[in-house]
Formats: sequence, C-alpha cells, structure tokens
Amino acid sequence: MKNRENIGGSGILLILIILVLLPLVTVLFQVVCPGLELSEFDLGNLALVLDVFKRPLWEKAFINSATLSLATTAIGIIIAGLLANLRVNYDFPFGKLLDIVSWILMIIPSFILAQGWVYFASGNGIAKAWLGISGMNDFLFSFPGLVTVMVLCKYPMAYVAIKAALEWYPAELVHAARMNGASPVRAWLDVQLPLCLPTYFSAAMLIFMDTVGDYGMSSTITAVYSFPTLPYTIYSAICSSPVRFDMAGVLSLYLVVMIVIAMILQHYVMGRKRFDYLGNGTMRTMARKPHGLLSAFINVFTGLFCLVALGVPVGSNFIMSFSDSFSIERFEFTLENYKRVLQPDGELIVGIQHSLSLAVIAALIGIVLGFAVAYILTYSDFRLKKLIDTITLIAMAVPGVVLGIGYIFVWNQKWLQPLGLNLYGKPSILVLAAVASAVPLINRVLVGGMAKVPKELLTASQVQGAGFIHRIRTILLPLLHNSMVSGVLAAFGGSVFNLAITTILYPPNYSTLPVYISDSYNDLNFGYAAAATIVGGACIVTIMLILEFVLNIGNRKRNEYAVNT
Amino acid sequence: MKRSMLCVTALMTAMALTACSKNAAETEAATTAATEAATAAETEAATETEASEASAEGEAPVQTEPLLVYLNDFDAVISDMFKESTGYEVEVVVGNGAETMSRIEAESSNPQWDVVWIDSMYDVYNLDLDGQLLTGLEPENASGLTDFAKALVPEDKCFYPTGAHAAGVIVYRTDVYDETTAPRTFEDLTDERFKDQVGMADPGVAAPAYPLAAYFMDTMGMEGGQEYFTTMFENGLKVYPKNPQVVQALAGGEISAAIMQESNAYEMVNSGEPVAIVWPEEGAPASTRVAAICAQTNQPEIAKLFVNFLLDPEIQQELIDLGDEGYFEPSVEGVTMKEDRDPNAKLVAADIVFGAENEGDIKAWFADMSAM
Repeated sequence: MKNRENIGGSGILLILIILVLLPLVTVLFQVVCPGLELSEFDLGNLALVLDVFKRPLWEKAFINSATLSLATTAIGIIIAGLLANLRVNYDFPFGKLLDIVSWILMIIPSFILAQGWVYFASGNGIAKAWLGISGMNDFLFSFPGLVTVMVLCKYPMAYVAIKAALEWYPAELVHAARMNGASPVRAWLDVQLPLCLPTYFSAAMLIFMDTVGDYGMSSTITAVYSFPTLPYTIYSAICSSPVRFDMAGVLSLYLVVMIVIAMILQHYVMGRKRFDYLGNGTMRTMARKPHGLLSAFINVFTGLFCLVALGVPVGSNFIMSFSDSFSIERFEFTLENYKRVLQPDGELIVGIQHSLSLAVIAALIGIVLGFAVAYILTYSDFRLKKLIDTITLIAMAVPGVVLGIGYIFVWNQKWLQPLGLNLYGKPSILVLAAVASAVPLINRVLVGGMAKVPKELLTASQVQGAGFIHRIRTILLPLLHNSMVSGVLAAFGGSVFNLAITTILYPPNYSTLPVYISDSYNDLNFGYAAAATIVGGACIVTIMLILEFVLNIGNRKRNEYAVNT
Repeated sequence: MKRSMLCVTALMTAMALTACSKNAAETEAATTAATEAATAAETEAATETEASEASAEGEAPVQTEPLLVYLNDFDAVISDMFKESTGYEVEVVVGNGAETMSRIEAESSNPQWDVVWIDSMYDVYNLDLDGQLLTGLEPENASGLTDFAKALVPEDKCFYPTGAHAAGVIVYRTDVYDETTAPRTFEDLTDERFKDQVGMADPGVAAPAYPLAAYFMDTMGMEGGQEYFTTMFENGLKVYPKNPQVVQALAGGEISAAIMQESNAYEMVNSGEPVAIVWPEEGAPASTRVAAICAQTNQPEIAKLFVNFLLDPEIQQELIDLGDEGYFEPSVEGVTMKEDRDPNAKLVAADIVFGAENEGDIKAWFADMSAM
C-alpha cells in the first residue's frame, strides 16, 4: 500500500515538477546564473535578493502586494463565507443568480473586470456622466477602492469552494449541540465552523494566491495610481530591456516566500487536528425557505451584491461595446462593433475555437491530475506531499508571464528537437501551460471537498474487497460530485481566458480569444474589444451552463429521489 | 521512496545539465555562429555571388518554411503584402515591444524568429551588441534612405529604419485649456497649472515611451534629464503602463494633458475627442521602427528580401495610406505622409549607443521614481 502510494506520489510530483517547478526554477536560477550560462554563475548575485530593502519600487511593490492581498483575503473570505452559507442553507429567488454571477466573475479575466470598473468610475465615466455620482473616481483609485474591486473580483473561487464543502453537514453533532441547549448560531460557531476550517483556509488561500499574483488589476488600476504591486514589477522586469530575468526571478522569489509564510501560518493554526466528519451522522444540507425580514434581507443583499459585483464591470463593458468613442461622455450608439465581431470568417471566431479546444483539453487533463493531487494530499502518507501542496500554490500565485518565460527556457531546447519534444511554437505548449494553471484551482476545490470524507470510508470499502478504481467510483466520486463539477468548470472557464501565458507563448498564426481582445484594446478599439469580450464571454458562459446542467443530471435525479423518499 | 527521490534528483540534475548543455550549446552555438559568421561571410559572398548569378539567371531563393517575423504593428496586412510582392510566405507573431523583446531573449539559445520589425531601436541595437543580429546588410532600397534615417543606421549595418513616429507629442484637452493656457513645450508641463494633470506611458513597459525618456537623458545629460522628470513627478505626473491607458485617461478626464505616442494622439483627434496636438518646436522624441535579421536564421536571403521590401517607397506609402498605424515619417524618399500630420513635425532622437547602453539604468531610475 505504502509502496503504491509512493509510486503514485512520485509520479504526481514528477508531473508537477515538469509543469510548474522546472519552468519556475529556470527563471529563479537566473539570479545566480544570468542567461543560464554557467560561465556567468556567481553566488554574489544573491545580493540582489536584498534589493527589496534598497530599491524603492521593490520595497513598495512588496509591501503593497502583501497589504492588498491580506486585506482582500480577510474581507473576501467573510463575504464568500457569508454568501456560501446563505446559498446552502436557504432557498431564495436570487440563489441561482448568485451562482451564475460567481461563475461568470470567476472566468472573466481581471483585466476585463478592471477595465469595466475604469469605464464606470473614471473622471467622465458612467457614474459621473450618466448617473451623476461624483467621487467614484477618487474612491476607485484609492486603497479601499482597490480592495473593494479586488474582493468583488476574487471572492468567487472561495465562494464555490466553500459552497461545495457545505453540501454535507454533521447533523448528529449539530443536533447533539442543540439538544444540549446551544442556539443555532452557537451550534454553527462551535460545531460546524471548526469542522469546516480546512475549507475556509483553503478558500482563503485561493483568494490570497489569486490576489498576490494578479496582473490584470495591477496594470489597469494599481499602476495608474502609483500603487505598484509585485506582478506589475515582475512584468516590468521581464519586459524591460536589457531583459532582467534575474530581477523577475528575485521578485518571484518574494512571491514564493509569501506563499510559504501563508502555508506555515495555516499549518500552525490547524496543527494535526482531524476535520473529517462525513459518516453515518452526516446529512446532505437541505435549503429551506426563509421568511419575513430574513427573506427580504437575503434577497436584497444578494441582489445588490450581484448588481455591483457583475453588473457594474460587465455592464460598463456592455455599454462600451455599443460605442464608437473612447469615452462614455461622448457615447454614440453603434452596432458596428458587433457586426465586425460576428463576421463569419472573422478572427474572433477562430480565436474562440482555439481557446475552446485548449480549454476542453486542459479541463479534462486537469481534472484527472487535480483529482490525483488532491487524493495524494488528503489520503496518502507520501512524505513529499507538502512539496506537492506548495508547488500547486506557487503555480497559482506566480504570474503567468513568469511561467510562460520558464516554458520557453524548458521547451525550446535544441536537443529536444530530435525527440519531437521541442514544443515551443506549437499549440501543445499552450495545453501544458493551461493544465499547469488549471491544476491548482481544481486541486484546491477538491481538497476542500475531500477533507470532509474520512479515510475510514475508503478503508472499510477496501477491507470488503473493493479495488482502488471501484472505491473511487462508488465512494469518492458520488460524494465529491459538486466539487468535481466546480473543478471542471473552473478549469474550463479559466483556461479559455488565460491571457498572461498565451500572450508570451502563442504560436504564429494561432491567436486565442484573450490575445485577440488584448490586441484590439491596444489598438485603441475599445468598443470593439468590449464587444469581443461580451460575445466571447457569452459563448463561454452558455457552454458552461450547459455543461453544469449535463454534469448535474445524475445528481439532480438522486436529490429528487432523496426528497421523495 | 528512494526511487522517487532519485527521479526528482535526476530531473533536477538533468535541468542543471541542460543549463550546462545550454552553455555548451551556446558555446557551440557561438562557435557555430562564429564559424557560421565566417562561413556566412564566405557563404554570403558565395551566396551573393550565387544570388547575383541567381538573379542574373533569374533564380530566386527557395523557401522551405514561412519566414517568421516578430512585430508589434501592421500584423494584419504585412504577410499578404509581402506575398503579393515577392511570392514568399510570412508568418507573424505580434506582441507589444516589451513582450516581443522578452520572447526573443528567452529564445536566445534557440531562436525561432527570422526577422524582428519593431519600434524599439535601442532594444534591437542591444541584440546586436549581444551578437544576435546578422550584420552587414546592404538592401538595394537603402539608397533611398532619408538623411534622418541614414544617421540612424549603425556602422555594422545590423538594422535599417523603416519609419519613425513621435514617441511623445503634447496632447491637451481643449475643454480645459485654450490656446493661451495650453502647454507649448515639454518644459511647460512642469508648470504649477498642470499639477496632477499630466500623464505618460511607462518607459519600462511601453515600447515608444523609452525613446522619449532616453531623449531627455541624452540631450539634458543624465542629471538634467532626471531633474526634469523629478520636477514632473513632484508636479504629480501620472505614469500609465501603456499608451492606450493614457488615451483612456485623457478621454475619461482623469488627466487633461499628456505626452502621447503620435498615432494614438491623431486617433483621438480623428474620433472627435476634445483634444489638440502640439508638436514642440524643439522637436518630438522619435520612436524608430527598425527591421533586423536573426544571426541564426536559416533563410537569410528571404529575410534580406523582406528588409528590402520594407524600404520600398511604394510599400511605405501603402502602409501610410492603410489606416491608423500610418502616422509615421517614412525612412525613404518619395513617400507622402498623411495629410493631417503636421508638415512641420520635427523628430529628434537620442544617440543609439547612449540609448542602448543606458537603457537598464534609465528604466530602473524611472520605475523607482514613479513608485515614490
């Protein structure tokens, strides 16, 4: 058994090393070995690591990234936790809307959301020119404004992860608490919340990693009001000339340090306690209809939240998609942008096709790999599983452009050519990169779900003679159905819009949807870029809704059966 | 377990070896390059002889794969234009200047590109200093270069300018300033009345913004240039990542004046935004688009044809007439500029060697200042 775990763990570790660690190491290694030339090897270059105390930009970027990520995580986890608990425990009209809004926000890249906020809040933007709200400008380009926008952009991952984990609850323990006089709030605080700590920590990590490595928001909002962050500074270093991969390596190292600190903190808080509670005393959480004031509060709160979180940024892009001017102030209605976008032989359609095929492959490979990673982390005694955990988190936080550069170093070697493995310049490298980006997300979602399924369930089944595949198929997969669906959809949606990696790696004549949108924006075709975003986003969201419906057919039938019996 | 550790160790070792082998490969590549350079010289002579013979015999180089061109503009049209003109296939990889240069740098052990055509002259010259460019180019159409363009061709003829546009003209909102209060010179922008109102692109990220910063540092001296920008920062200069963000900020009223790349400025005017363009009398710093060939290209003859094609007055005229990206000063005689472009527009540029050698320092200084 141990041996099998070790083989499995080693295999997974090897794959993650190739997908994530190796590309990253090639960039980090540039610190002591610029250009990866051994003749340039100099340990003295490590002094560059201390430049964070010398260079004002680095110091500020480090502090800004840390404070922004911490503030976003703290507020984001409260919002996500609150929304997930409301959604799971109550049946209310805006519940489904909240899910859809969260999914859309999760797949839309942050640079598009940030762009929407700028259209809304800029000096002559929608808020001022159309709604007569002044001061939005000052608010957006300030720390509280930035944190607000970040929270609204980054909460969905945590929301989805927490919601998936809350689908079962420890009914027996909660009933025992209630029978001993605990109020519902007290029972939740003392029983349910502590048992869900791994999920909340996992969700908080998701927000932290996603925020600390976010470039889209940095380039659109933070850079504008002199709030440099690490991803923006890394991008500047990589895109500076002479190109400073060594500086990008050092700055990425800071990100890795932040992740390690966060993990140590998590480990310290959770210790070696057990959190699995799924057993005979657990029940599927059944949503109940709220009444009176509570119903009004839930509906108004979630409705307003959806309006602000999605309505403002996507609505602003939607409005701009009908404009042929640079600013809202001079808005003139036109359908020309959509006519160009929807041309049957248009480049956008090709871009969408490329992005969709990449996303499908990445989601399929990602779910298999992500499941294996989550299984190893949750149920195995593999000694290097902490390393696996760290690699997945690093993959999430390190900006895509760094991984992209690392991919060029790894996969553009002459000696790989005879082996047919010189993948740089071919679409297959985008698949590898998309899988590397998808696995951490899938893994986080699944780890949250697996944490509540005790290993004893699997062991008992094994004692009865069930093989490994049988155990997975009959025990884990049914219990993790929602988490699996969430993981697949998140990976699919995220891969479609993955801009950073595709920008640096896309092969000649192989434009993808995000590259296409970004190019249109850079050519000052703001309305056209917005129309492309809306059309592309609508296609992806429709596909995801269909996927979710199809993937949940079996689950819905089971739920109906459970309710009827 | 030991086996798993062995696997990991083996992989890491492989990676280190890869670095070594890369180094070895590089040495080999360098040797090969040197040999190739020597051979190239010989081959070139031979090829030129062959070419001249070929041209005498009317034979053209045979293309085995499309020419791969890295560029940041004209991506939608250039492939078809070249094919129509010469019959050869071109594939393009488009990206902003900074992304393209980092891609080239990351590929340096095994370059995939054949030609780079980009408005980052100093970056391209740095590639030459690293030995990554084919030198001694003598395109036939170079005889038609303008004086401004001729002065920019390096001694080793590693690249040729195909046009230049203003990296920064002064643009202001006409609903905020009138003729009397509008800025006329770069110096004006340090005035108190423009406090918190001026924006520009980040020289560290936007390709055209570096020549702008380099020009001030070159003409005023490093200290003088730094003093100028320090005053600008103290006066609330806002630095945006790229020119599109500057356009958006100016159109959205975030700022009321900007130092902006020329074609973006004209696009704003053409779309009816309430802005006006000022070409400073002292001249606007130029961002020069240059074409260069990779030293390790396996189709140098077709690459040379491409460079020559870009120096064709008819081709430059077509690029100018095509649309929004056509706001530039051609590098060859006999081309008419866009009608609405100021006929008295004067371009100035920092010295190539100064711009290339000080690029890292200037960008680092600028980045640190904008963070303070």
